[in-house]
Order: sequence, then C-alpha cells, then structure tokens
Amino acid sequence: MQNLKLDEHLSHEIAAAVKAALSTTFGVEVVPGQPEIGRGMVSLVGDVSGVIALVQEGLEGTMTLCMTFETVRDLLPRVVGNAVSVTREMTVDAVGEITNMIFGQIKTQLNKRGYGLKLGIPSVVTGKGHFVSQFHRGPYMIVPFYLDGQLFQVHVALYGNSKDDSPIAKSS
Amino acid sequence: MSQLSQLKILIADDHFLVRQFVRNTLQEAKVTNIQTAADGNEAIDMVQKAKEVNQPYDIVFLDWNMPTVSGLEVLSYFRNLPEYEETAFVMLTAESEQQNIMKAIKAGATSYIIKPVSPGDLSKKLVEIYQWIQRRRQKSASLR
Repeated sequence: MQNLKLDEHLSHEIAAAVKAALSTTFGVEVVPGQPEIGRGMVSLVGDVSGVIALVQEGLEGTMTLCMTFETVRDLLPRVVGNAVSVTREMTVDAVGEITNMIFGQIKTQLNKRGYGLKLGIPSVVTGKGHFVSQFHRGPYMIVPFYLDGQLFQVHVALYGNSKDDSPIAKSS
Repeated sequence: MSQLSQLKILIADDHFLVRQFVRNTLQEAKVTNIQTAADGNEAIDMVQKAKEVNQPYDIVFLDWNMPTVSGLEVLSYFRNLPEYEETAFVMLTAESEQQNIMKAIKAGATSYIIKPVSPGDLSKKLVEIYQWIQRRRQKSASLR
C-alpha cells in the first residue's frame, strides 16, 4: 500500500477533482494557485466549509473545503436559475454535495493507485468569517483556488501514527 | 431523440443541488415528466403509488447515501418485485468504490453513474438507459 503524502502528486489530484466538480456541475473554470505545505497550527477563514475525515492504515486526517458565501451565491444560480433566491439551507446543501464530489473523486483516483483511503461522511460548518483551525502540530497542505477573482481553499491535514513515516514529502 | 420526451423519471437524492442539476439536464433532453424525492422512503412511496395508478416511472435515479433508506436498499427492494422489471433503476452517486459498484450491479442496477457527471455524459447515459428500457419491453412483450 502506498502511503499518502502531502506532495505535488496530491495537490494535482486535489486540483483535478475541484476543477472537474465545479466545471461539470456549474460550468465554471477555476484556477488553482500555489499549494502551501507546512506544519503546526493553522486556520482558514471562510463562511461555509465542508469537512470530511480520511483514514489510511497508519494515518488519519481531515480534508476541508472552505468557501465564502459570495462564491457559493455566485455558483448556485448556474444550477437553480436566477429567479430563485439562494437561502442558507441551499448553501449548506450545495457545499455538502460539492465536498462529497471533490473528496470522493480524490479518493477514487488515489485508490486506483493502491492508497486504500477511506472517507467519513461530510459535515458542513457555516457562519460568516468562521475559522477552521488545525489544533495539532502535524503537517498540512492548503491548495488555493480562484473563481472570477474569489478565493476558496482546500486544506488537508494528516496525522501519521508512525514516527518513522512522516506524511510530509521529503524534498529531493 | 424525441422518444425521450415521453419518459417519466424520478430523481431521488437528498441534495437539492443534484436534483436540480439532473432535472436541468433531463429538461435539455426534452424530458418534462420529472419528479423528485429527498430520501429513500419517499422514493419507495412514490414509485409504488405511481405503479398503483398505472403510471409507473420509466427511470429512477438513486443516490447511494440518503436519509432513512439508502439508494441501494431502494434498488434491492424493487428488484425483488417482478412487476418493476421494466423500470430502470440507476445509481447516481459519488460512491466510487469498485466493490460498491459491483454490489449495485449485482442488486440489479441498470446503470451506475459516478458524480460529478457532465450534462453531456448524463445525456448519453439517458439514451443508453432508454435503449435498455426498449429492449426490456420487447422482451416482456415477446413472452406474453
């Protein structure tokens, strides 16, 4: 089994999954930015976030999609039409489903190459300007995306169970 | 394909986004008789009631993870009832594990579509499902 690492390979899978989910569902093109890989406490700021747990043998973690209300409100009329006013419930529902699609696709692609990942059921957190904080000192990766100039982010945090097997990719 | 406009379709998914996305795509394909259910129980109820009044659904799209009753359970329930053999039950889900796909196919899924799916790919699947329905009806007719 291959061990999941926070590396360029994972950031490519994240970018591909985000682009596919948003282009097929909403017909929009998003532009991925430069991934940030680090270690320690970090917080994302957003209005609506989809969080999902991931487990691999010897490894646990979370993946989070963090968006602003503005971004979701720009996306939704592309499916529901302009005549419908977007409610908070619709925003939560949409981000839950986008989270499902994105992280489901990442899991599928990685498992085709023998990663053996399992995902939990997504939860959605809302609140204008809320923080999604990583409270452990383990490694993380943040991949930024731009949609018509608006920023949203995907955050992956991993907690390795083995001291000898750091989930941060070693630079070559 | 103009015959597609005659289809009666149920979309069962707990996410309104998916229900609306599929509805939009079906409407682009000229399908107008589209209804939705937000969970597995509601889907079972609607499929049974439609059959009782002799206006059965031709296609039922099922999400895998839904409140109360899962899409797989809905599929298994109806595939054990011979009177629904001409109904196409299609899994439309982000669930992509190969073993789950096999589970759904073994349970009698007419097709298995992994989300996200583009409107173009969904339309192509719709044509394939329509052809499956036609073959199934011809087979039933030849046995009568």
